[in-house]
Amino acid sequence: MAGRDYLGEFEHIIMLALLRLEDRAYGVTVRQEIELRTKREVSIGAVYATLDRLEKKGYVKSRRSDPTPERGGRSKRFFRVTAQGVTAVNQIQRALSSMSEGLGMIGSYS
Amino acid sequence: MTSQARFVQPPRFATWLVNLFTVPQDDSIVGDLFEEFRNLASRSGVGFARRWYWRQAVKTAASLFTLGWLAAPWSTAAAVLGGFLLAGYVNGLPDKALSVATDRYLLYWSSHFQAYLWLLRGMLIGHIFASLFVGSMVALAAKGREMVATMTLALIFCAMAGIGCLWLVAKTGEIASLSGLLWYWADPLAIVVGGIIVRRRRSPMTAVGSA
Repeated sequence: MAGRDYLGEFEHIIMLALLRLEDRAYGVTVRQEIELRTKREVSIGAVYATLDRLEKKGYVKSRRSDPTPERGGRSKRFFRVTAQGVTAVNQIQRALSSMSEGLGMIGSYS
Repeated sequence: MTSQARFVQPPRFATWLVNLFTVPQDDSIVGDLFEEFRNLASRSGVGFARRWYWRQAVKTAASLFTLGWLAAPWSTAAAVLGGFLLAGYVNGLPDKALSVATDRYLLYWSSHFQAYLWLLRGMLIGHIFASLFVGSMVALAAKGREMVATMTLALIFCAMAGIGCLWLVAKTGEIASLSGLLWYWADPLAIVVGGIIVRRRRSPMTAVGSA
């Protein structure tokens, strides 16, 4: 994989959220999962902008559901991680764990 | 869900703002905002949900603006550059018309100065119509990214006018020159309005009442 194809921080977080949510991953659940776990407010636009980028890279695939009344007759766009996406996540996870190996207490550096 | 929350609608103008930047026929982003708005309204109250919705709408529009640029940087830049050159030509037309009218009816204007002042005001309106035309042309060229292209062009003109006015104030020391900015910013605003008109004709979702 070329260096430029590495996942950015927010891309990484979104990919992990998609993997956690499995087949329940759409805009609302992804945004809420990130807010719940990272404690930072995220806009739905930022989530979609990143998901579109990931889809172009081939790490994510999307499909549309039928419109539902609780969404004012609008459809949902569900996302899932592709095999290529799983490889990218594994690669960044390995890189991060390798970089933090032996650093036991990172808090002591601050 | 409380009965009030079930029937309450999110702010229409905020929805309209988001729809200006979404891909036509893609209603999933507005659907997500709508779903969360309803849930928040029933849990935390309508006022809280409305404030949340507005915050999300503004941030989402900003994200989609950036996304629009990243999706097609070259064609968007070409539309903006074309609009910049077109504005240079079209915005000069009212001045040329004024110059011709002044020369041809010089005797008349000298005895009807009040009418000449009205003609000058008419020229300012002519500028606004010229900018509307430029905004429409840029939006037609940047299909699917109408607002990205027209807002970028408008921001460029706003920045140019702002820098020009600050330079004038620095040179003359007359703070009152800054009041001219309001007139200079009318043209960029007309460019954006031109973009909105084209966008609305292409995508019915951008109608304010579609919230």
